[in-house]
Amino acid sequence: MKLLKRELRESRVALAAWCAGLAAAVVMYVPFYPSIGGSGMMSAYLEAFPPEVARLFDFDRMATGAGYVQASYFGLTAFLLLAIAAIGWGSRAVAGAEAAGTLELTLAHGVTRWQVVTQAALALLVRLAVVSAAGSLVVWALDGSAGLELDPAGLWAATAALFLLGAVAGAAALFGGAVSGRPAVATGVGAAVAVLAYVCDAVADLAGARWLGRLSPYEWAFGRDPITTGFDLSGLALLALATLVLVVVGGLVFDRRDLRSP
Amino acid sequence: MTVIVTEGLVKRFGRSTALRGLDLEVRRGEVFGLIGPNGAGKTTAMRVLLDIVRPTGGTVRVLGEEPRAGGAALRRRVGYLPGELRLEGRARAGELLQHLAGLSGGVAPGTIERLAERLGLDLSKRVGTLSKGNKQKVGLVQAFMHEPELLVLDEPTSGLDPLVQQEFMALVREAKQRGQTVFLSSHVLGEIEQAADRVGVLHRGELVRVGTLDDVREGRQRRVRAVVTSAPGLAEALGGLERTKDLVVDERDGEARLSLLVEGGVDHLVKALARFQVRDLLIEEPELSDAVMAYYEGVRA
Repeated sequence: MKLLKRELRESRVALAAWCAGLAAAVVMYVPFYPSIGGSGMMSAYLEAFPPEVARLFDFDRMATGAGYVQASYFGLTAFLLLAIAAIGWGSRAVAGAEAAGTLELTLAHGVTRWQVVTQAALALLVRLAVVSAAGSLVVWALDGSAGLELDPAGLWAATAALFLLGAVAGAAALFGGAVSGRPAVATGVGAAVAVLAYVCDAVADLAGARWLGRLSPYEWAFGRDPITTGFDLSGLALLALATLVLVVVGGLVFDRRDLRSP
Repeated sequence: MTVIVTEGLVKRFGRSTALRGLDLEVRRGEVFGLIGPNGAGKTTAMRVLLDIVRPTGGTVRVLGEEPRAGGAALRRRVGYLPGELRLEGRARAGELLQHLAGLSGGVAPGTIERLAERLGLDLSKRVGTLSKGNKQKVGLVQAFMHEPELLVLDEPTSGLDPLVQQEFMALVREAKQRGQTVFLSSHVLGEIEQAADRVGVLHRGELVRVGTLDDVREGRQRRVRAVVTSAPGLAEALGGLERTKDLVVDERDGEARLSLLVEGGVDHLVKALARFQVRDLLIEEPELSDAVMAYYEGVRA
């Protein structure tokens, strides 16, 4: 656990910054619900869009507090910010330390390669959980004043989905780094997973290709609309499984390969 | 008792071969110096010992164990200074060292401070801001701090100023006195000459020569200079000696200045000179660098 503690201590400034970032995203969107979603203005506005576009960005659901928060925050800005944070942390964990030469020093001491990967993954999860929770706490605080009328269980169900979706993106970056030792590859793998998840979900929606949607972690997270329907255990399980597989396979390869020369 | 044994150790990286059948033995309690030019395979050999990279072929034993099987428990018994030590980040030197000490364990209280003091390292500085030499000091402290049975030091004095190099030599001597084994590498030959009991010369992934410093010096050429009172038969007496060459005799004002190269022992030369009146005699201590370069030349030829 020493690696985990150190990782968390070293990145506490970044962690605070990401918490502030998600809180800022909430503050930028949520207070405007009464003037956008709740006023009926949105329904009028929607007439101007082709229905496919409206559906792509979930504009058609903005008339309720839950739909508005899902469309503006969870499904878009929070996902984007959390994915960026997760990919950054995930690629720095193994590949970044390896490229910087510090991993060789760590591994010269009484630490196994598995410990490096699993504690990096745990550090990633802890930080993502903190950041996701921070954003949702601000949503919860603004619930009354913005007239969102959110169901608390729904809010935390969406938060759990967001957290695990970020975990998949971060684990993908960790996997890319554990396999290759190159930060660029790590970031690329993480970004590819995040972007493909979003695009597959969107295309599946637009084209009605449900099979494509089933492949998308974004769909696993938000497909069943947890903010209104509550915890989607099968979706969360799929996200957790994907995270676990990425970490374990990454660890298996990392345990077997040579460290790259810095 | 051997601390490091490799037999036929081969390491390939893609198409390039870093080690081609390295046979090496380092005995308990000795200071063994691995010398060779950059790219000879020194760093790769050391990284194999620490399980940083895995061998393509051959066998390795470190403290009796195969590095991969020995794992973290084996590495706790080894202190390692990476060859290209790059330290980044905002952590202070002291924090990083405490963290690494926590990973390996067995660091006596005050050891980090004492080593830092001896090497002149400021523990309160952030590692990312340290100069190359000061980063190297952090590397040395973390290698020595848990008094491991085996020290594997890749280019330990690189970046250190001469005074700190002397302090490092003292650390190596003390480690040896405590019974620790030291395996160090260099392309700067002077540092091996001071510290090592035995030397191995690595060339293109193979050990081309192993022995004590004397062994390695043996069979190499030394320059002998002498000033002798002029006497008949001088040039003939020296010109006919075995294992000598490049004799130059400069006779002036009743004395002869001689210069020649001798390979190996000098007994026969001294006895030949003794028949004349010797005013001055200088046998140059051979530089190890000459010796090693002679081997490289020999290998290349």
